Amino acid sequence: MTPRWIATGLSQDLPKAVVMAGHWQGHDLAVWRSATGRLQAWNDRCPHRGMRLSHGFVRGETLACIYHGWVYGADGGCKHIPAHPALTPPATITVASFACVEQDGVIWVAPADMAGAPPVLSDLQPLRSISLTCDVAAVLAAEPALQGQDILRATVQIGEQGQQVCLVAQEGPAGLTLHALCGVGADKVAVSRWVEDLRRRAEMKVAA
Amino acid sequence: MIKLYDYVLSASCYKIRLMAALLGVKMDHEAVDFHPGRAHKSVAFAQLNPAGTLPVMVDGAMILTESTAMLVYLAKLAGPDWLGPVDAKAAAQVQHWLAFSGRLAASLGMARLHDMLLYQGDIVVWREQGHAALRELEAALTERRFAGGEWLVGDTPSIADIACFPNVALSQDGGVSLDAYPSVRLWTRRIRALDRFIEMPGIHRLHELSPAPKVA
Repeated sequence: MTPRWIATGLSQDLPKAVVMAGHWQGHDLAVWRSATGRLQAWNDRCPHRGMRLSHGFVRGETLACIYHGWVYGADGGCKHIPAHPALTPPATITVASFACVEQDGVIWVAPADMAGAPPVLSDLQPLRSISLTCDVAAVLAAEPALQGQDILRATVQIGEQGQQVCLVAQEGPAGLTLHALCGVGADKVAVSRWVEDLRRRAEMKVAA
Repeated sequence: MIKLYDYVLSASCYKIRLMAALLGVKMDHEAVDFHPGRAHKSVAFAQLNPAGTLPVMVDGAMILTESTAMLVYLAKLAGPDWLGPVDAKAAAQVQHWLAFSGRLAASLGMARLHDMLLYQGDIVVWREQGHAALRELEAALTERRFAGGEWLVGDTPSIADIACFPNVALSQDGGVSLDAYPSVRLWTRRIRALDRFIEMPGIHRLHELSPAPKVA
C-alpha cells in the first residue's frame, strides 16, 4: 500500500492523559496524548500478551497496559514490569511507532518513515467524527455537491445559509469514519445535524 | 435502612449501587442468585416483585421495582441537585434520558446478557439497536460539547447520566465497541472520575487518577 497520511481522529476528542483506538490501513493503533500533551500513535498490541494498548491508561509521559500493567515510555520501549519491579526491561520489548501529527485540529497517522506533511485544511474548524456503515461512493451519491475522494468538500445549503463542509474519510475495520470540519463561525449544531442527515441518506442508498 | 435486592453483574443493580455511593447513602444488600439460579424468577421472589426483575428496593412498606424510580428516590432523599435543573426543558430532558436508559437496557443490555449469561434471542438485532441508541447519545453529547456542556442535562451530573452510564460502559461485553463514539467515551470518563465513584466487574476506575502503586 502506498504510504500516506490518514486522519484517525480529531484533536478535541483526545485530551491530555487519554488513549484512544486509531487505525491506519489495516493496522490498529493506540493513539495517546501524554500528561504534557505529547501525541503518539503505536501498534495497538502489548508485546507481552497482545492486549490492546488502547484499553490501557496514560500516567504522566507513559502508557500502561490494562492487563498486567507493563509501562511504555515515549520511545515505545518498556520501562517497567510490575511483576518484576527490580528488572530493567530489555530494549527488545518495544512497541512499534507510527508517525503522528495534528494539524488544523485533525490527528493524522502514517508509517514511521513517512516523508512530507499531511494535507492542509485551513479556514476550517473541527466539528465531529462520525461513523457510517456505507462506503465513500454512497456518500458521494447521496450528496452530489461533494467533491474529492479522501477529502470531500462542498458548500451546502443548511437552513438559510450556504455552509462550507469538509469530510475527511478514514476506512477502518468497522467501516467508514468521516472526520467533519466546517467553516469558522458556522452554527455547529446545524452542520452536525446536516452530517447526521447525510449519513442517513448515504446508508439508505446502500440498503435500497 | 433501605434494602436493595442485588446482583453483582447486573447493570441495573450497579446503577443503584453507584448512585447510592455517589450520594453517600448506605443500604442493606441482599444478593439474589440471578445466574445460574434464576432466583429472581422464583415463586418466593414474586411476592416481592411479580415482574421477576432486579433490582428491587424496599424502604418500609414501599417496594420499588424500576431502577429509574430508585434513582429519583435516592436523589430526593440525599442529593436533590442530582435530580437536575428545575426549569421545564431540563426537567423534560431528564425524563427523556431516564426513559432512554430503558432502550439501552433493551439493546446493549440484552446483547450483554446474550454474550455473558447465555440469554436466547437475536444478537444481531440487539447490537444494531444498541448502535442506533449510541448514535443518538453521541449526537446529544456532541451538541452539549458545542455549548461547553459535559453532562446530559445541566452543568452538573444528574440521575440522567447515572441512568444511562452502566449499559453504555458495559457495551463491549455484548460485542458493541465504543470506538466510533468519541463524545460518549469522554462522557464515560467524566463519570468514572467522579468523587466516590465505585466499580463493578467490567467497569474499572481511571487508574491514572491515583498515583502508581509503590513497590515494596
